[in-house]
Amino acid sequence: MSAQETHSGVARGGGTAVVSGRPSSPPRPMPRPGEALAFRRSVIGLLALAVLAPIGLILYQSFLDGPFFIAKSRPGFSAYLYVLTDPMFYEALTNTVIMAVGMVAIAVPLGTALAFLLTRTDVKFRGLLEVVVLVPMFISAIVLAFGYTVSIGPSGFVSMLARSVFGFVPWNLYTLGGIVLVTGLSHVPHVYLYVSAAMRNLPSDLEEAARSIGAPLWRVGLDVTAPMVLPALIFVAVLNLMIGFEMFGVPLVLGDPSGITVLTTYVYKLTTLFGVPTYQLMAVVVVLLVLLTLPLVWFQRRLLRNSRRYAALGGKGGRTTAMRLGTRGQVIALSAIGLWLFFSVALPIGGIVLRAFVDAWGQGVNPFAHLTLKHFANLLEVPRLYHGILNTILIAVVGGAVAVGIYLLVGLAGHRSKDRASTLLDYIVLLPRAMPNLVTGLAFFWLFLFVPFLVPFRPTLVSLFTAYLIMGLAYGLRLLQGTLIQVSPELEEAARTTGATVTRAWRDVVIPIIRPGLVGAWALIMIVFLRDYATGVYLMSAGTEVIGSLIVSLLQSGAMDIIAALAFVSILLTGAGLGLALRLGAKLHD
Amino acid sequence: MTDASKTELVVEDVHKYLGGLHILQGASFTAERGSIVSLLGASGSGKTTLLRCIAGLEQPEVGRIRIGGKVMLDCDQRLTIAPERRNIGLVFQSYALWPHRSVMENVAYGLKLRGIDKITAARRVQETLERIGLGHLADRYPDQLSGGQQQRVAICRALVYQPRVLLMDEPLSNLDAKLREEARYWIRKLVLDLEICGVLVTHDQSEALAASDNILLLRNGAIVQQGAPQDIYARPASFYAADFLGANNVASGRIERTADGASIRGPNWALDGVLVGDTGEGEGKAVIRVEKIGIHGAPAEGRIAMQLDACLYLGDRWEYRLSYGDLQAKAFGPKALPSGPVWAEIPRDGVWLFPAAA
Repeated sequence: MSAQETHSGVARGGGTAVVSGRPSSPPRPMPRPGEALAFRRSVIGLLALAVLAPIGLILYQSFLDGPFFIAKSRPGFSAYLYVLTDPMFYEALTNTVIMAVGMVAIAVPLGTALAFLLTRTDVKFRGLLEVVVLVPMFISAIVLAFGYTVSIGPSGFVSMLARSVFGFVPWNLYTLGGIVLVTGLSHVPHVYLYVSAAMRNLPSDLEEAARSIGAPLWRVGLDVTAPMVLPALIFVAVLNLMIGFEMFGVPLVLGDPSGITVLTTYVYKLTTLFGVPTYQLMAVVVVLLVLLTLPLVWFQRRLLRNSRRYAALGGKGGRTTAMRLGTRGQVIALSAIGLWLFFSVALPIGGIVLRAFVDAWGQGVNPFAHLTLKHFANLLEVPRLYHGILNTILIAVVGGAVAVGIYLLVGLAGHRSKDRASTLLDYIVLLPRAMPNLVTGLAFFWLFLFVPFLVPFRPTLVSLFTAYLIMGLAYGLRLLQGTLIQVSPELEEAARTTGATVTRAWRDVVIPIIRPGLVGAWALIMIVFLRDYATGVYLMSAGTEVIGSLIVSLLQSGAMDIIAALAFVSILLTGAGLGLALRLGAKLHD
Repeated sequence: MTDASKTELVVEDVHKYLGGLHILQGASFTAERGSIVSLLGASGSGKTTLLRCIAGLEQPEVGRIRIGGKVMLDCDQRLTIAPERRNIGLVFQSYALWPHRSVMENVAYGLKLRGIDKITAARRVQETLERIGLGHLADRYPDQLSGGQQQRVAICRALVYQPRVLLMDEPLSNLDAKLREEARYWIRKLVLDLEICGVLVTHDQSEALAASDNILLLRNGAIVQQGAPQDIYARPASFYAADFLGANNVASGRIERTADGASIRGPNWALDGVLVGDTGEGEGKAVIRVEKIGIHGAPAEGRIAMQLDACLYLGDRWEYRLSYGDLQAKAFGPKALPSGPVWAEIPRDGVWLFPAAA
């Protein structure tokens, strides 16, 4: 557009026309009326409060020399000094880094290979495998870890079997290597999920070109497919690194017996290390841990922005045809997947199922001769156990639904908004993502101890639900935003021009259209709430027990029978949740 | 022509910026009840943005808009009214029918929002649907309708509550050619019968010429020319307007004033023409509507000898491909002619001369 062109306008015919020649610098933008700014700002403000208050409390606590609720606590750096000079801390830090990096090193190549097989080749049983390979992701990590203990731990079923064959157990699960292997293999689905999404959209012609000049399948995957999804690979590596830093259940179960600590278990240890609460030390470790993960969250967010650009490029609707594996290829691929499924699904789950129904095993003992239901009878007799099961169901089913409602309000508050508050929202959501769930629970525990009007709610499910709400915020909001964005803006604009206010348009047009997406989101949030074990650890009191936190606390006393029964119930509930999610058409592959 | 009492929409000097781009550069026009104003332009000309500014879906930074005598936008006063309070109807290019509501519910929504009771609303919806021949489809859902039916429902939905202004954003572009010709007729009839004020955005010149009472030709965010269809077609004010409308022959050459007007001259050809606007001598362009050139088999006074290179059969007529020196031209005729020398008759006022810069 040049200056000459713009001056060619001449009025002719009826009326006046064209006035040109305004200054070329853009004037102040006009306000946008009727955008429900009051609603948007108050929702985002409340959310900011719910996220920033616990984080602020942790930060404040870290700079005190005693628990925040004790009047004689003075501000200072003594807690930092203690932690930063504690050799245990550095050991935990080293272990954390080894665990996280080792996990990524195992999970990323295997998950990528799995994604390649399931999206780019004609591997058999694809439809079934696409769901089954996700199972380790949906099962509570503490349950999985316990499953490994009872199957391949020092006195597990398989270990006993090995001892009777070899005379000794040729492996030791309770080592850093064991932890890395278990976490690595159980996070293959996390990698698979993201990488398969990226691979699904690739057009096939590049791979076909490579095959036509004689490259074998594995070379095609390595040289053509993987580089094309490089952004997704980097993204998923960063994501899993972060998950590794925040891992709590597996190192607790597998590391504790031999004294291996990581940062999260170090925090947990500090609770019981001294007779008095050492909140200031816990707070310092948490601050350091968040400082470690926050850059990863930020980096991940940047990657995501760029990978969207990639997705647009890949979305040309290129034809995808599956590459043929051939008989030999099918056998190799299915064996590899089968082996992995055996180790990551059959071994832990099988161990738990067996352990939950027997009361004696060991060398030379046939466990099938000792089948019993008495562990389950225990669950029904001890109030805190059956309360725990009921609470778990309640918080997952009802809490999940309420949480989706709240995520919807938050999603709407930022929906198609150019307001500054919606930019703030993007950043608020990052913060809880950088906190391990254990820490989120701890922060809310302190908050419900500290804030006078919240105190009465501490021993109720309200405190637990609030912590779960923030714990699931990043995932839940992403689900909801993904659903909201699918409603074409014109459908909303049509309501506006017909005479509906923006909130009325949401109520009458947007929400009814996304109803199926809401139901799917509810099912997925339900699974997230079911599988969580860490958020409730500190918030547990009479009335707020959930299966996960019960298992964590029972681990201290070594009540394996009860843990096995609880773990079995947890698997059943997760299975039911997953079945419901599939039934309701939730998109597991998003 | 202008009757102040019938004026429904007044747009004054509307400017819109997007980032550093000045995408609307001062649009002004008025529209009246019982007439259609077309915003015509190529893609990127700002016509849809202008429509969305009128609807309140976009906020211009400069300008004033009044609808039905009420101020909807006054940037100097920093006043702007939300879309839902502008009392307009908007028909989207994609129709934007709500998929979860039946035809009846789609159309009745505007009445429901205005607090009209269910029975009255149902009667009015039925009346409006009958009027455009969709009375029997009230209980269907949008995905059960054809494109043409969806488009008519979208128009019904936008005018059932009698808005002051009916805005239409390329309402016909998703229809096939035959339906499009029908639709532009009945849309015009509907607007005239119901005495509403229609604003139609289109990139299709024949749609604008056939359906509207007034055309605004936009280019790069500015109104290039406005006027009645016959006027704008017969008396374009600029090379852009001349070339955008109709099917044209365009020639570049040197413009010279002559005793009885002006002429344009190439290396081996020359045409007599008329200067448009303040065109002077120098490099310039000529625009000749294809239908202005008559082809004859014999020479006569004022005819130019040309070479007929080929004849293309178009069904209802023939297209002649001509050359005149290095000038290439097209013309229409009723019958096939053998290739070779022909004589072209081009009236002087059919050759519009513009300066090269325009």
